[in-house]
Amino acid sequence: MVFEMKNIVKNYGSLCANDHVSIHLNKGEILAIIGENGAGKSTITKILYGLEKPDEGEIFVDGKQVRFRSPTDAMAVGIGMVQQHFMLFESMSIAENIVFKNEITKGPFLDRKKTIKTVTALSKQYGLEIDPEAKIEDCSVGIRQRVEILKILYQNANIIIFDEPSAVLTPLEVEALLETMKQLAKMGKSIVLITHKLHEVISAADRIYVMRRGHVVAERIKSETNSDELAYLMVGKQMELRQIKPQPAGRQLLQVRSLSLMSGGRDVLRDVNLQVSAGEIVGIAGVSGNGQVELIQCLTGLLKPGSGTVLLQGTDVTHSSVCQRRAAGMAYVPEDRYLWGSAPSGTLSENTLMGKESKEPFCKNGFLKKKTVEEYCQTLISKYDVRALSPRQRMSEMSGGNAQKLIVAREMQMDAPLMISCEPTRGVDIGAMLFIHDQMLRMRSEGSGILLVSSELSEIMTLSDRIYVMFEGRICGEFQRGSIDERALGVLMLGGKKADG
Amino acid sequence: MVKRRKTLEAGGVSKVLQSLLQPLGAVLISLVLGAIIIAVSGEDVLNAYGIMLHGGFGNGNYLAATISRATPIIMGGLAVCVAWKAGYEAMGGEGQMILGALASALVALYVPGNGTVRIILAIAAAMLVGALYSAISGWLYQRFGVNFIISTLMMNYIANNVASYLTTYVVKDPEALDLNSVQTAKLPESVRLGKLAGGLPIHWGFVLAVLAVAAVFIVINYTAFGYKARMGGINERFARYGGINSKKMLFSIMLLSGALAGMGGAFEVLGSKYRYIDQMIFTAGFAWSGMVAALLANFNPFGTMFAAIMLAGLSNGGSAMQRSTEVPVEAVSVIEGIIMLLMSVKLLSVLRVRFKKRKAGDGNSPQNGGTCVEEMV
Amino acid sequence: MNVSLEYLLSVLNSTVRYMTPILLVTLCAGICSKVNVFNIALEGTLLAAAFFGFLAQYYFRNIFLSVLIAMLVGMLITLLMAFFVVKLKGHPMIVGMAINTIATGLTTLLLSVIFHTKGLISEPGMEGLTKVVLPGVQNSPVLESIFSSLTVVDYLAFLMAFAVFVFLYKTKTGFRLRAIGINEEAAGSLGIHVQKYQIIACTISGSMIGLAGCLLSLGSVTLFVQKISAARGYIALAADSLCMSHPLGAIASSALFGFTTALSYVLQKTPVRQQLLNCIPWIATIVAVAVYNVDALRKKNKPKKKTPKK
Repeated sequence: MVFEMKNIVKNYGSLCANDHVSIHLNKGEILAIIGENGAGKSTITKILYGLEKPDEGEIFVDGKQVRFRSPTDAMAVGIGMVQQHFMLFESMSIAENIVFKNEITKGPFLDRKKTIKTVTALSKQYGLEIDPEAKIEDCSVGIRQRVEILKILYQNANIIIFDEPSAVLTPLEVEALLETMKQLAKMGKSIVLITHKLHEVISAADRIYVMRRGHVVAERIKSETNSDELAYLMVGKQMELRQIKPQPAGRQLLQVRSLSLMSGGRDVLRDVNLQVSAGEIVGIAGVSGNGQVELIQCLTGLLKPGSGTVLLQGTDVTHSSVCQRRAAGMAYVPEDRYLWGSAPSGTLSENTLMGKESKEPFCKNGFLKKKTVEEYCQTLISKYDVRALSPRQRMSEMSGGNAQKLIVAREMQMDAPLMISCEPTRGVDIGAMLFIHDQMLRMRSEGSGILLVSSELSEIMTLSDRIYVMFEGRICGEFQRGSIDERALGVLMLGGKKADG
Repeated sequence: MVKRRKTLEAGGVSKVLQSLLQPLGAVLISLVLGAIIIAVSGEDVLNAYGIMLHGGFGNGNYLAATISRATPIIMGGLAVCVAWKAGYEAMGGEGQMILGALASALVALYVPGNGTVRIILAIAAAMLVGALYSAISGWLYQRFGVNFIISTLMMNYIANNVASYLTTYVVKDPEALDLNSVQTAKLPESVRLGKLAGGLPIHWGFVLAVLAVAAVFIVINYTAFGYKARMGGINERFARYGGINSKKMLFSIMLLSGALAGMGGAFEVLGSKYRYIDQMIFTAGFAWSGMVAALLANFNPFGTMFAAIMLAGLSNGGSAMQRSTEVPVEAVSVIEGIIMLLMSVKLLSVLRVRFKKRKAGDGNSPQNGGTCVEEMV
Repeated sequence: MNVSLEYLLSVLNSTVRYMTPILLVTLCAGICSKVNVFNIALEGTLLAAAFFGFLAQYYFRNIFLSVLIAMLVGMLITLLMAFFVVKLKGHPMIVGMAINTIATGLTTLLLSVIFHTKGLISEPGMEGLTKVVLPGVQNSPVLESIFSSLTVVDYLAFLMAFAVFVFLYKTKTGFRLRAIGINEEAAGSLGIHVQKYQIIACTISGSMIGLAGCLLSLGSVTLFVQKISAARGYIALAADSLCMSHPLGAIASSALFGFTTALSYVLQKTPVRQQLLNCIPWIATIVAVAVYNVDALRKKNKPKKKTPKK
């Protein structure tokens, strides 16, 4: 065993990210850790790499117990991590990036020639071709990732962790990466791969851990399992499906045609077509990072699409401003309540006013009626069961669940026929989640249309009348309520194919 | 539940204390350090400080002179309050004030019309010039990404030089006896902002400044526009998400801020000096004192006013101190500088968060979409 | 105007003499920029260094010691700036302007207290920086005009530019400093004590401002006057922007400003333009930053090209 982690416990406040997790890795093995968002896989690897300290548990590397204070300690015992967010110096060359911190010198001076020779030799040794003198800013994402790998190999790492490495790669680059991993394993390196994508796991992994809600729920050898089983283990059976009365869909509220977007050299959205009608909840199922954020930003006006059209209640709003879209009847619960959805140091009143600040009865002749605003906020607080003491409290003082409830309240009270809701119950306790779901169903029965984006499959399945599945920027399936089960949906979300065509 | 309430209430009181603690601390520490400097100058510290206090606030005349000096400082401070509350760290008050002062002098001198009309036009001209000059920095930021610090600092110097050039060669006082005096002609009585009754040297400019303080306070806190500006200042993404047009906001704020600074220049010309004298704004450092005042008051308009009066008193007191003791008036600039240095750190929590959020890309980078506090497990 | 060769040569000579203090301060600004520290306190630091260099020479009459003291003053003030900006995370603009205000006030105050004047202080018999006469220059009147009245520190300024260049681009430490400036987060995550590097780099670069200060008060003429720095600290900021903080580029941009200063004295015959001429560096800076940003944005949006080897 090159490393073993025993009974790791890690809490973030009241959230238990890792609940007595034990994993190990053998030499020359490719180990995959899979699970949904919130499963705890990123946390366990951060602990292994020294980015986080465990609250309980022990780590052994090559049989010796270790305690990491920082990644430097981890690197010292041969553990390296290729993170999702690259740590590169754009205007410097590949060779310079690779040798940083362990520069090759002649006295106080850099030995440029030797650096290039060493880096070239390293890249040949591992079959990772690069041009040592190319500048990072001119390199594609695939090459950059290679540089990150070479950085780790240069430090003589024996254990290499890949955190969602294919999130930023094109399919061709992913193929190359998986080949690289197999090659590295053949050369004696041990690999940990964190991913959502089942086909990668099936292709490259030797052994697999499945995590869910902070636990390791299963351990499998690749030859003894298949993607269907893995999908089921990952997603599992969660909540009781509510009994929701089907109702006929009304007029079309939102129509999206052929929406495409390229960003950073990649196709982020590929020819997306969807629609939402009055009185229905339309869910977009998919693992985070498959283009949902960009899609929603294009719909709400925060991002300009490359091509395609967005029609809101018949009006073309593809190039309209956020303000115009809201006026045309759109409300939006954003996926990040602190980054986009609120002004954390502002009061609750101020936060609930957003979007209505120039409208009656809050504003007359340009002047705000503070009392009216406060009363309105208080109404929302009561109606939506927000645990707050007064509208004068600061948003940052509220718990995540209550802040989310308030934001949902604000958007629902916009009286907009179409509501776009992104991860509405992320990081929110069960009670708040049920409440928000109730509210969404109420809106639906009152004739609003809701576009729901969530990486929580059970949420999508419970609420949606229709479900689109999104994978790698494309809509790869549309299903009516009841026509598909969680397992099959899970497979589609992870890039697999639906069994019956 | 009860525990929560307790901490909340305690939070309310301690917040007020906190917002006063740093300014008070900064002033006290700087006075202590100033005392050291005075001692170095060979003077009795208590005596010197006594004279300074008296010189600033000691009697009716001194108090009035302090208030007179405070007038442009207040306006400079308001300009900073408006810009910084909206999240734009502009430092262009000085250039705007200089141009506003010159513009008001020229309009007052050469535009035909009766006294009151000319005064109003002069102030309006100052506001217009200040606003437009400020808008240029805004445009440089919006169109070219030129950071406010660079553009406003440079433009302050440009403004001072251009005003100097104009005053030296174009609009020089034809009746000047001293060939070396670089100034415009003196404003006739009819276009001056007169003194308030009582023979005290407080002029109507101060009254207008107080009105401006109230107006800015109301606009920032009680109008839809002010709400949008403040939300943009707290979280630029939230403002955009809510439908606020960030370009429109930028220019509106820059125009308003510039107009306020320009007015400060006009008040000084129309109410105090009755002419534009080369370097008068630059040397007096009104805009910079205004900045310090705004910092001390955490960008609250009324607090800025009080801080401005305090700083003006400090300045006048320093002059008195120089007259009666061996301590040069520069001790005051040193004290002001120390205050500024100590206040620079307060903004750390506020500005750092704002700075990070602005820096972390614009809305067009999808990678920034999902960094929720409780996720990424 | 009599434009003789002699005249042109003297303009060239003036350019060199005006540019060297700016060059030194620009180099300091450049190093601070390279580690992401926005140093606005250059002006105040320069003034203080000039004053204390003069003061030291006045009391100790040892030019070597005085230069060292000026360098020390430059380092201490820059350390103060770096501490507030890097460690305490103070707003760079405010920290810088505060230090400038303090330095301006303090030097005038000490001038008044020690020398009982607020204007000018000079000590005619006092030795200034050693003037250097290069061998072989005496033989050519042309060279003699160009190199007249240049002191050790003037030559040192050019040497420093090259030294800084070699340091930043050829040594290990310089490499790490540049990396910090490019991506502080990456450097930190890879195990570098970013703050330590930043503070130390800035502090040591402050010594160059000390040298520049000596040029002002102990150079061609030994005197100190209230505004002796004459906004050179801000000009250096402009020069630094123009050359993108590159030490060799700093020679060019400070030459530009040295030239405009020399020119403005030459053009004193037609005084109409002096104040407007002064605006050239400011406008140039804004334009330079704008152009740089537009270019950088264009580069960012350029579709990524794949490197030749796959």
